[in-house]
Amino acid sequence: MATVITPRGQRQVQRLERIWIERKGLLGWITTTDHKRIGIMYFFTSLILFGAGGAEALTIRTQLFGPNNHVVSPETYDQLFTMHGVTMIFLFVIPMTTGAFGNYLVPLMIGARDMAFPRMNAVSYWLFLGSAVFIYMGLASGHAPNAGWFDYVPLASKAYDPGNNIDFYGYGLIFNGIASTATSINIIVTIFKLRAPGMSFNRMPLFCFAFLAVSFSLLFALPSLSVACLFLELDRQLGFHFYDAAHGGDPLLWQNLFWIFGHPEVYIIILPAFGIATAIIPTFSHRKMVFFPLVALAELLVAFLGFGVWVHHMFVVGYATITTVYFAAASMIIVIPSAIQLFAWITTILTGKPQFKTPLLWIIGFIVYFMIGGLSGVTVAAIPFDQQVEDSYYIVAHFHFVIFGAAVFPILGGMYFWFPKVTGRMYHEGLGKLSFWLTFVGTFVVFFPMHILGILGMPRRVYTYPPGMGWTFINQSETVGAFLLAAGLLLIVGNLTWSYFRGAEAGNDPWEGDTLEWSTTSPPPPYNYPVIPTVTSPYAMWDKSDRELDSRRLERGEGVLQQGHETVASTVQDAEWDEIVSMPPHSLWPFLVGLAAPGGFAMLLLHHYWIAAGFLVLAGLLLIGWHHREVAA
Amino acid sequence: MEAGAGTPPRSMTARAAAGAARVERRRRSAPNGIWGMALFLCSEATIFGTLMATYFYLDFDAHRWPPAGIERPTIAWPSIATGWLVLSMIPIWLASRSARRGARRLTLGSIWVACAMQCLYLAAQILLFRHDLLHFSPKGSAYGSIYFTMLAADHAHVALGIALDAALLLFITLRGLANYWLIGVRGLAIYWYAVTVITVLVLCTQLSPSF
Repeated sequence: MATVITPRGQRQVQRLERIWIERKGLLGWITTTDHKRIGIMYFFTSLILFGAGGAEALTIRTQLFGPNNHVVSPETYDQLFTMHGVTMIFLFVIPMTTGAFGNYLVPLMIGARDMAFPRMNAVSYWLFLGSAVFIYMGLASGHAPNAGWFDYVPLASKAYDPGNNIDFYGYGLIFNGIASTATSINIIVTIFKLRAPGMSFNRMPLFCFAFLAVSFSLLFALPSLSVACLFLELDRQLGFHFYDAAHGGDPLLWQNLFWIFGHPEVYIIILPAFGIATAIIPTFSHRKMVFFPLVALAELLVAFLGFGVWVHHMFVVGYATITTVYFAAASMIIVIPSAIQLFAWITTILTGKPQFKTPLLWIIGFIVYFMIGGLSGVTVAAIPFDQQVEDSYYIVAHFHFVIFGAAVFPILGGMYFWFPKVTGRMYHEGLGKLSFWLTFVGTFVVFFPMHILGILGMPRRVYTYPPGMGWTFINQSETVGAFLLAAGLLLIVGNLTWSYFRGAEAGNDPWEGDTLEWSTTSPPPPYNYPVIPTVTSPYAMWDKSDRELDSRRLERGEGVLQQGHETVASTVQDAEWDEIVSMPPHSLWPFLVGLAAPGGFAMLLLHHYWIAAGFLVLAGLLLIGWHHREVAA
Repeated sequence: MEAGAGTPPRSMTARAAAGAARVERRRRSAPNGIWGMALFLCSEATIFGTLMATYFYLDFDAHRWPPAGIERPTIAWPSIATGWLVLSMIPIWLASRSARRGARRLTLGSIWVACAMQCLYLAAQILLFRHDLLHFSPKGSAYGSIYFTMLAADHAHVALGIALDAALLLFITLRGLANYWLIGVRGLAIYWYAVTVITVLVLCTQLSPSF
């Protein structure tokens, strides 16, 4: 869009460049409110944490390589598998999807110049970073969480886990939840209010529908986890009795609260993957998405139904048959919207002219593994079978196919797909394909045999196992697969790093993509678009007449918005121009709030409650302080 | 103003009350700040929903609720206090209405009245909280734990609302009723409506053993 060909158009752009200029150096990154920079910070932070979670996984697999191994101590092993789960769920997948992909791409895809609340966006990042450092301080001090990522009581209660380990988990997740809630509010308002003129809901990219669904899920699921963690800390620190059966509490209360969050969480993890798939498939199949409205509705329906199935994680706790049967049925129903999407993806590929570039390979890998994980999910929705394999490696196999195969594969595909847009460089296609096949085969080899291990009776979370159980060869194969998988992932990092410096120039639209971000330069300028685009179809980039119109509007100075950091706010349903709002430029306040909050949580951990309250008051004062300059509201 | 079709208003150029009111009248859809507040309140409402659900979950599990040795809550004082908080919604509504009409002084006056009423409410509730603590403890039973946690969470939200009142009073006094602060007043009103509804529901939960 908006190819600048005349001196007048160039002058408009130069003026925008001056208005939106970013600070250089470290201070520029600390004070930035630009959604793209914040997205990049989320990306690298969560990538580092992915590396940490991966290293934990490799250590676990090394420990399980043979019977009676003692690579790490049992206590360290408990901490490692707990931290692996906590890291991958809370510190990698959610921040990578909503924080990195959502932040970077949603405003670009809807034709906005930033998120609805840029400073809150920055504070979300700093809080997320603070929570990650807080949780990892536990590992560094030898007191990492050690009761599993779902942290069941009474194991996690003070009586059985008297150290600080669980407190790093409890406070850390409350802290992390604040950041995720702020991000989800930001994404929803951005999608509701900042869509380009003409981008009514039925013309919005399916990627954004997925992120809208995820954000609503986060908004309503996280409170349950936060309350559960609050109760846990009140029990542990102040002697309350929420989970103490001897005083009228109930340990199952934790399980209910945790899984009311935990099952929607599965969809929170996987819905962005659906969104990435719906961005990549039409582009490389060179055709429009089959059943566009049904796919959009299915994405929303999956998020909604995800709230009604949590007891299928609790089939062995002794609930009445009528209760478990209801939740088994509800779990089966979720197959319907998931299958609609699978059908739409496969049909779009089969009826298009697929070009099997690296990003599409990752999506095909995702479809294969989502089907495997989905089918094993159907088996564990059957109550008698679930009761048989509960707490065995069968469950580990199921959720790794869903979480790694189905959620992380599209993230990796998305990294390749948008790499040219973010960096302006092309990646190496041959290495890209090699990294895919290594990871694909590694994933299968590490996770598929876990089904067999589970059926053979190997329980999950065991430190080691005796010889002669028939588990040794399978465990050894899995460990080999884990290192193969790690090699594939390292190859991605190597490929993208090399390509960043040596890759060919990408140009604006190397894939002939269908969404708006491909219309701007690679990497996009701080203001995203020299003219606010107008949209008249769901495939904005394939609608050439709209993009030509944008170029003419730029020449006329129409929709350029060059009186400050400005973007357009539109009506919610039809996206008609409503007002021009100002966005805040760089600001130090979010960083300062991000410093005060971890201080407060650290003081809570150390039982200095008044100092913690002092940090809370300080954070409040900082929030008041950042309003000294009035901008968009 | 931007050349071209539509020419929507630049909201932030409205730095005086009358201009902000004009922008407000032209607006066809709630501004970003109102959506942000509404969604924040959805999250908070879910937190209270979880707290109240926990209360009844533990209640249904218990043989006796409240447990032996703890009296049923008295109805009169908490109900009177909550009624007072409900009454404070009148000046809050008036503040929002007058802000939208550009009446700065009336807006400030209404927030002052509401803030005074809410402070009185909070003071009364703190006294009732202390009174309850003298009779039973959150450390004595699951009933005490959820009872005090739920009330403390509600009172914390009232305290946060009072802090928001104070911040808006400060900024509007110093800066005038610009578009930014007009949206702030509207957001404050939504906050108080939601917190008041939550408080009524918390009261009903708190008093449920007495009915």
